[in-house]
Amino acid sequence: MNKPGVPVRPEEGAAASALARRDVLGLLTLSLGAGLPQPSAAAPAGQVTWGVHISLAPTWFDPAETPGIITPFMLMYAMHDAMVKPMPGGQLTPCLAESWSAAEDGRSYEFVLRAGTKFHNGDPITADDVKFSFERYRGTSSDVLKQRVEAVETPDQRHVVFRLKDPWPDFLTFYATATGAGWIVPRKYVEKVGDDGFKKAPIGAGPYKFASFSPGLELVLEAFDQYWRKTPSVKRLVLRVIPDESTRLAALKRGEIDIAYSIRSELAEELQRTPGLVLKPTVGSAPYWLYFPEQWDPKSPWHDQRVRLAASLAIDRESINQALTLGHSHLTGSVFPENFEFYWPPPKPAYDPEKAKKLLAEAGHPNGFDAGFYTCDSSYANIGEAVLNNLVAVGIRAKLRPLERAGFFKGYADKKFKNIIQGASGAFGNLATRLETFAVKDGTYAYGHYDDLDALFAQQAAELDYQKRKEILQKMQEIVHERAMYAPIWQLAFISGVGPRVGESGFGRIAGFVYTAPYEDITLKQA
Amino acid sequence: MKEFVIRRFGYSVVSLFLLSLTIFFFVRVTGDPATLLVEPGTSEADIAAIHHQFGLDRPLWVQYGLFMAKLAHGDLGRSFYYQTPVMELYLSRFPHSLLLAVAAMAFSLLVGIPSGVLAAVRVGRFWDSAGKLFALLGLSLPSFWVGLVLILFFSVYLRWLPSSGAGGPLHLIMPAFALGWYFAAAHMRLTRSSMLEVLGADYVKLARLKGLPESLVIAKHAFKNALIPVLTLAGINLILMINVAVVVETVFAWPGVGRLLYEGITFRDFPVVQGVVLISGAMIVCVNLLVDLVYAFIDPRIRLEK
Repeated sequence: MNKPGVPVRPEEGAAASALARRDVLGLLTLSLGAGLPQPSAAAPAGQVTWGVHISLAPTWFDPAETPGIITPFMLMYAMHDAMVKPMPGGQLTPCLAESWSAAEDGRSYEFVLRAGTKFHNGDPITADDVKFSFERYRGTSSDVLKQRVEAVETPDQRHVVFRLKDPWPDFLTFYATATGAGWIVPRKYVEKVGDDGFKKAPIGAGPYKFASFSPGLELVLEAFDQYWRKTPSVKRLVLRVIPDESTRLAALKRGEIDIAYSIRSELAEELQRTPGLVLKPTVGSAPYWLYFPEQWDPKSPWHDQRVRLAASLAIDRESINQALTLGHSHLTGSVFPENFEFYWPPPKPAYDPEKAKKLLAEAGHPNGFDAGFYTCDSSYANIGEAVLNNLVAVGIRAKLRPLERAGFFKGYADKKFKNIIQGASGAFGNLATRLETFAVKDGTYAYGHYDDLDALFAQQAAELDYQKRKEILQKMQEIVHERAMYAPIWQLAFISGVGPRVGESGFGRIAGFVYTAPYEDITLKQA
Repeated sequence: MKEFVIRRFGYSVVSLFLLSLTIFFFVRVTGDPATLLVEPGTSEADIAAIHHQFGLDRPLWVQYGLFMAKLAHGDLGRSFYYQTPVMELYLSRFPHSLLLAVAAMAFSLLVGIPSGVLAAVRVGRFWDSAGKLFALLGLSLPSFWVGLVLILFFSVYLRWLPSSGAGGPLHLIMPAFALGWYFAAAHMRLTRSSMLEVLGADYVKLARLKGLPESLVIAKHAFKNALIPVLTLAGINLILMINVAVVVETVFAWPGVGRLLYEGITFRDFPVVQGVVLISGAMIVCVNLLVDLVYAFIDPRIRLEK
């Protein structure tokens, strides 16, 4: 057991702490307050139907196979529950665990399970299930978790201890927010039916039970009236797959569905104009940017910081935002997600083409220059066209080169591109994981590196003091910003629509989560 | 006859083998499926784990050998995306596609054949021009556009029909029309040209000279013979409707095989694409084999030719 235990405070807001030192009482007060089962409201009634934009895969019914995309969480929030997960109260909200604490030396974490919680089949949730779920996990980042966690101990059925090989400040980020390892499945049931059987008839601990699934057609869920947090208000949820967004909008207008995911551009305007329908923009964790891979090459114009800054000043983000996402994307001025832990908010990005031209002239390009290719993922070539027009207007003359998504990211990672790259990332994690991938030496998408950033990165990785680590990571973001390593564009809005029958839709309640959740909070309007 | 059957059967097996080889290697030219299953920025270790899970880290010839070994046992592999056996997925979608294809085929034949006959017997007149216009529109209007216009008019404005999905007979009307129009146009054109050819044949002229009424000449002597190539084409078209109604099934959210193929292509789900293409190819090869055998049975010149 940890002695003495250092509790982790589930902080309010997006930048919830992983290793803040607070007293046990504070943690318990907050977590118990957030977690106590609420008095049952009226019995669940009615049905809410979704028009889902992507085919639902049975692999998403099993938290053990959570891939590195956000989509499976659309289903996991309904059918399953986690020890700790992002909720309206914060990124690290106690759920099946009523509290947790970290050892002083950062080498172990102890979780206390909430009493009286049950799976859909009535079995109680035990420490054994938590250990089994972790050990069974084989989804994204499973290798990182397995390499760093030495052992999972279950001293009794309400306590679970994770022993780490070395101090790892990001343990909770990975366990609770970036993977499916902390989502709990019933050991006895899984062992009885096997992996395939579990995917055909999953049993979880979430607010909704699996009822039926027709591959490619729809998933039907029924309210679980013994869910610990509260009894869901809506009895039946139907998630219908409608791949074409025009058809989704038509179905929403006709009242065939109540919620339509992903309605973009002109169709979003149409949705906005339709009486009775409500536009629901949510901003996920996917910033977009321009990257200058030649900034380390002294012969390239991009080596000059003024040129990179000029490119950033040339982008009319407000107009592009209005045109493409009806003004709902966030112009954060950062290439890191604003809802991530350790985020540093930079100054508002400016649009100043005159200053951009002046900077180019100072850098030796009074008539602009031929900037080569502007390479982007073809799915987002519309952003590229708009940004490129802005660049050309100040004299940065580039040619748009949209590549098919997979080819683009492979080329980006293989460091095959030159000139300008329009990049984006919606990967899970925190600021440390993002910086590691995009800004420091040997990062998957880093074409070069700066020694001071590398040194700071190494420093934060060994820093156990939360506040000090935060300061280092924020300093790194400042450097990335000041050096104009990137020209940020925006943090993209995901636009959906809600029909007239829905009361609380669940959109935008969890920071960085673009789908509806928590499902138990969704309501229908009274007839 | 025996030698002919063995030879034709051998051709069919070789065709399927070449198809398996082509689809297996061509689908891999499209790129790495792992990059579509994760967010950009995902670690290389995660991508390598996906490669390992799907066996994509093995040499291509090993992958192909394993694929063929499984295929010999009727196993088309497991979908990367759905993590479900491809055969199970195919069979779950097949009834929906068959229903849609039969409805669209019925529409295409009921409209295409009579209008083709009418156009042939009224060459250069109103019905011929109307038929040509119908065929021109059916062949040139993109089916996604037709589908969306139908949804807009009949679902959103008139509110007569459900916009999407499968369920009752009302769900079937718009997708069957959108899918069937193209084939109706094809059947109309073939019927017209086939009828024109038959109507100019000596035996039809003879029938007319014998003083038979024109309606009897058309119905009894011309139509039956003109129908043979149309029905042969319809057989192949039915298979295409079942397996590759990609656009219509996507627009109407119809849970059929075409949408499965679309999903397979979108997610670079190699086993799904391979499976659907191979099953579709096998169906076509079987139909062709059957037609060859029937022809050979009827006409000895065919089975005796070297």
